[in-house]
Amino acid sequence: MTTLDVRGRRGRPLLGSHMFLLVLTVALLAPVVWAVLSSFKPAGEIIRDPLGFDPATFTLANFRGMFHDVPVGSGFLNTGVVLLAKGAITMFFAPLAAYAFAKYRFRGQNLIFGAVLLTLMLPTIVLIIPLLLEMKELGWVNTYQALILPGSVDAFAIFWMRQVIAAVPDELLDAARIDGCGEFGIFWRVVLPAIRPGLAGLGVLTIMNIYNDVVWPVVAASSSRMATLQVVLTTLAQNISGNRVGADYATITGELLAAATVALLPLLILFILLQKHFINGILAGSVKG
Amino acid sequence: MTRPAPSGAATVFREGRRGPAVPAGPRTAKAAAPRGRRTFSWRRRLAPYAFVLPFVAVFLAFSIYPLFFTLRLSFTDWHGTGAAQWVGFGNYRYLLANSAFWSSLGNSAVLWLLVVPVQLVLSVIVAVLLNTIKRLRSFYRVAFVVPFVMPLVAIAQIWIVLFDQNYGAVNAVLGAVGLPPVGWLVTSAWAKPTLALLFLWKTTGFVVLIVLSGLQQVEPGLYEAASLDGAGRVRQLWSITVPLLRRSLMFSVVLQTLAVFQIFTEPYVVTKGGPYNSTTTAGLFLFNHINRADLGTGAANSFLLVIVVMAVSLLFVRLLRAED
Repeated sequence: MTTLDVRGRRGRPLLGSHMFLLVLTVALLAPVVWAVLSSFKPAGEIIRDPLGFDPATFTLANFRGMFHDVPVGSGFLNTGVVLLAKGAITMFFAPLAAYAFAKYRFRGQNLIFGAVLLTLMLPTIVLIIPLLLEMKELGWVNTYQALILPGSVDAFAIFWMRQVIAAVPDELLDAARIDGCGEFGIFWRVVLPAIRPGLAGLGVLTIMNIYNDVVWPVVAASSSRMATLQVVLTTLAQNISGNRVGADYATITGELLAAATVALLPLLILFILLQKHFINGILAGSVKG
Repeated sequence: MTRPAPSGAATVFREGRRGPAVPAGPRTAKAAAPRGRRTFSWRRRLAPYAFVLPFVAVFLAFSIYPLFFTLRLSFTDWHGTGAAQWVGFGNYRYLLANSAFWSSLGNSAVLWLLVVPVQLVLSVIVAVLLNTIKRLRSFYRVAFVVPFVMPLVAIAQIWIVLFDQNYGAVNAVLGAVGLPPVGWLVTSAWAKPTLALLFLWKTTGFVVLIVLSGLQQVEPGLYEAASLDGAGRVRQLWSITVPLLRRSLMFSVVLQTLAVFQIFTEPYVVTKGGPYNSTTTAGLFLFNHINRADLGTGAANSFLLVIVVMAVSLLFVRLLRAED
């Protein structure tokens, strides 16, 4: 069909559907677009005329102020270190465990999978007190280990990868076995290549979760030297909601939006580059039973 | 009558009883053979244990140990230093008699009501529309997932500025169409809906994807047959789509219920639990104990919250199973 396709299967116009989806899309994207644009406005303008945008008054003053006030650089560095280490651990060990759950029958399987489900259901903050004490005991407070290890083999990732791996045909695994492939070799050379879309989805989800994590880093790495980007931002937001003496509301608002923009952009760019993998990964993960 | 293929990730909740599914149906010659029992070496037996070992180690060290520690702590009065004093069920009695504890649970329950039903209906509508259109489909899919990917703290900050009573863009829009400004984040009546909106905005795209993946398993032939029988679009939605999506929907409900009862960052950053504790969610209430170093009470609060969250999610899992 080369003609403009605005009619549905049964000849109904699809224009209404598009209108609805378009309005929704605008509503979803507006806050992000607004924040990014506003962060380049003079601080006074943001509160005087929140809806307007004049390219002539484009300024980086909010960013300069924000970089001056909070350690964004070290925030990015810490987040980067945690992202690499924790991400690598999750991306390797979660599919490995998921493979065991999806393709093997072993004693204690249900019990251990129950542990996965339990971990899923436990609110993070429930474990915060003892985890913090555990870190103190180990001398890990304000260290990278503390940020990286707890939750490094993510239960949701296991839960989700199990669905993906279950869809890999058993015949493929048996064929590899007949060819003399070891059990780990099957995982490494057969399963992982077969689930690449799901793996890509997991990758984006993992990056996202680690990058966006707040609760644990706030308590485990409260020193400004170890603060991750999100902790830095949270501190800024806390200062802003009224307590900071000596800075006026407009300046603070400008810095707040600048900080939000700095935090949003890396993920936004990454997501736009990888969106196909991410969406296909989620679809793959939730379709197969 | 053939049963439709199970749609969606929710299948997993049933599988525990019997392990991975073995394909039913006539056995092929290959499967009827000794099934390669000789290749069931000790390596193959031990492999799964080795594969789950890292998870089990992390789980024992950073979930089970802390869990038991919390349990013990919940029966003591301890403020982080000195000796802990055993108080039996004192912390639990204190919390259960404390109106602030109940109101924190109540606030979470209200958020649940404001979020989950709305999200479910909206997701089904959007997913069905996305499934019928061809043009721009991937554009919409990307746009809907953008909020889900964005860092919550940054979004929460944007919410503070956007919904400011005096200088916010939302009230500016209202003013432009002649409506009076609303105290979004500073009145108890509006603070909860404003936080609910943040949560909806952030997560609905993800639920849409879950529903969409369920929809893609529905046989198009079913709709054609229904059309021939004279069923209208609404009728088709109600009689075909919704029943077939049941698993995806229940999966979403369980997932979002867990998420809503754990809401912490949103009120912590945006409203700090105010005004008048109207946005002190169960998660934030618990965090406040930790913040005050009232660790015994915090631990007891943790357990009460775990019980509530588990009870609610098991209820949904039950519902899911009962419907099968």
